[in-house]
Amino acid sequence: MLESDAASEAEAALFLRCYGRGLMAEFLQQFVNGLAVGGIYALIALGYTMVYGVLKLINFAHGDLFTIGAYLGLTLLTSFGLADRVGPGVAVLLLVVMVMGFVAVIGIILERVAYRPLRNSPRLSAVVSALGASIFFQNAVMLIYGARFRVYPQNLLPKISLNLLGIYIPLVKILVLVVCVIMMVGLYLFIQRTTIGTAIRAAAIDQEAARLVGINVDGVITLVFIIGPALGGLAGLMVGILYGQIKFTMGWIYGLKAFTAAILGGIGNIPGAMLGGLILGVVEALGSAYISIAWKDAIAFCVLILILVVKPTGLLGERVAEKV
Amino acid sequence: MRRFSWIVTFLAVLVFIFGSVISSTAGEIKVGLMGPMTGAWASEGQEMKQVLELLVEETNNQGGVNGQRIKLIVEDDGSDPRTAALAAQRLVTQGIVGVIGTYGSSVTEATQNIYDEAKVIQIANGSTAIRLTEKGLKYFFRTCPRDDEQARVAVKAIKNLGFHTIAILHDNTTYAKGLAEEAKRLLEKDDTVKIVFFDALTPGEQDYTAILTKLKGANPDAVFFTGYYPEAGLLLRQKKEMGWDVPFIGGDATNNPDLTKIAGADAAAGFYFVSAPLPKDLPGEEAKKFLEKFAKKYGNPPNSIYSVLAGDGFRVLVKAIEVTKSTDPDVLADYLHNKLKDFPGLTGKISFNEKGDRVGEVYRVYRVNEKGEFILLP
Repeated sequence: MLESDAASEAEAALFLRCYGRGLMAEFLQQFVNGLAVGGIYALIALGYTMVYGVLKLINFAHGDLFTIGAYLGLTLLTSFGLADRVGPGVAVLLLVVMVMGFVAVIGIILERVAYRPLRNSPRLSAVVSALGASIFFQNAVMLIYGARFRVYPQNLLPKISLNLLGIYIPLVKILVLVVCVIMMVGLYLFIQRTTIGTAIRAAAIDQEAARLVGINVDGVITLVFIIGPALGGLAGLMVGILYGQIKFTMGWIYGLKAFTAAILGGIGNIPGAMLGGLILGVVEALGSAYISIAWKDAIAFCVLILILVVKPTGLLGERVAEKV
Repeated sequence: MRRFSWIVTFLAVLVFIFGSVISSTAGEIKVGLMGPMTGAWASEGQEMKQVLELLVEETNNQGGVNGQRIKLIVEDDGSDPRTAALAAQRLVTQGIVGVIGTYGSSVTEATQNIYDEAKVIQIANGSTAIRLTEKGLKYFFRTCPRDDEQARVAVKAIKNLGFHTIAILHDNTTYAKGLAEEAKRLLEKDDTVKIVFFDALTPGEQDYTAILTKLKGANPDAVFFTGYYPEAGLLLRQKKEMGWDVPFIGGDATNNPDLTKIAGADAAAGFYFVSAPLPKDLPGEEAKKFLEKFAKKYGNPPNSIYSVLAGDGFRVLVKAIEVTKSTDPDVLADYLHNKLKDFPGLTGKISFNEKGDRVGEVYRVYRVNEKGEFILLP
């Protein structure tokens, strides 16, 4: 049975190649590669965009919260032997909950210590404070875990790849993409359909007016600093599970890309961050496939510049009237 | 006031000259070690220091060289060219005969002229960049091979393994790009192997599936990756997940046990890399005795071949002083260039050519086995 499957698969592949559709398969493969990376960019971009939406602050420490998520997952897996105690399936679920919870706590502390005292200061002070927090987190991780690469356990999830007519998709990648989509859709519904979501949107439009109608703006800001870091930490965990190798500086490049994605989609706009992340991932993959690998980042940033020239507010961003 | 400062300078110079004369007549030969004790390559530098301290102790216990004791002076180059230049200046003012080190090519390059002007013999242990010995510096030597030698061995291995089409991938660092271009040049002279792909990846990322998919489209018999082990590990792992079983070959920057950890033993299995031999595979009695002593003193055998190469640098310097009965840099340089032949080093026979490069093949080909161990190919 298996052999005949393999044979018919080989035949199908041959058939496709004969009709010049091998190129199509490569294109689809690159598209899928890009979607997986893009999903992670999108998850991180959500944290940037939510904080910016409410506070008009670029939270530069967000990339490092992502790193903390990855390292926390590693500790839970290796030091506590989570996978051995409860089995891989439950372990991953537990990991997701614990990492999100812990990074959210760090997010709340970050907001209290680094941003709240500067709420009424010039915007630049808060940005400098964010950069300081970023340096602090990065070095704290280095001091705790060391400067070398750390590696996730290999046997966490079964290494199965789906083979769809020459396109290989590892199961882990599908899982990551599914989790990303669930989180994004969940967040979108939460923001659009619930009272608390409405409060967040109101605070994003005008904090003073929101306060006047009885919205607890401080509570909203705390909530934003729970959701954003939790999603960032989750993205870190995903990267750890997906690629296996983590380093204390990894938050920088992912943070930069996710920030780009947030701007691409229109900063402050939640569906925009998701769209921006996915587009960025796919553009990178296709750019490196059909132009040059070495120019991958240049291509991604060129796309950003082009979009901003044509539409300065980003893909889904709306021009907000200047507050008086 | 001005005259006064002249007198002070004059006195200082006088004291310095007498000081160095006195110290060299006091029956002590000073040898410097410049290595990365801190910074990115600190693990290399600390092991270099362990090796040299062991060898100095041994030499002094046997009565020193020509009746004179050896004193080791260690300076930290911080894995950084600027720090290294300062370290070199500190060393040359202390009246050293020669200096061992250092590891990184760019770091060594920053110190070459300082030692050359001070007429101090420099024997580098890990700097493989080609241009270091192409400057005509009389007092510069190295015990490690050069990158063009590495490319030659890699190309030979590619042919021996029977690959006809090859993809070359580097990471745009000076070392990796140089190695890739040298290999490309050698392969283009030859009709038996065709290069079907040549490009660079961005180091420090985590998803290389896009590059792998493109590589797979070029359909090579093998891929030669000249970059470092973190990217090599990820490439191997993601290649395995894609279900693509093309063999990979790496340069000596992939020689690190973390490669197997990152890729997983099953994905790393079958990976070839070109490297100077690991300490455990060193041939000869000299090496065996040395490894035993090292393990006895420090509790574990040396991890890095480059620290052993630093030991070899020290041993040829001592040999030169012993035979010529001189500490004159010109005499020593002449001896090392022309008269030292097939010295039994820890890493095999050592001779230098007129450029100060080590003569002979040092590189070996390794294969990773199913358990993730690095096995020397015959």
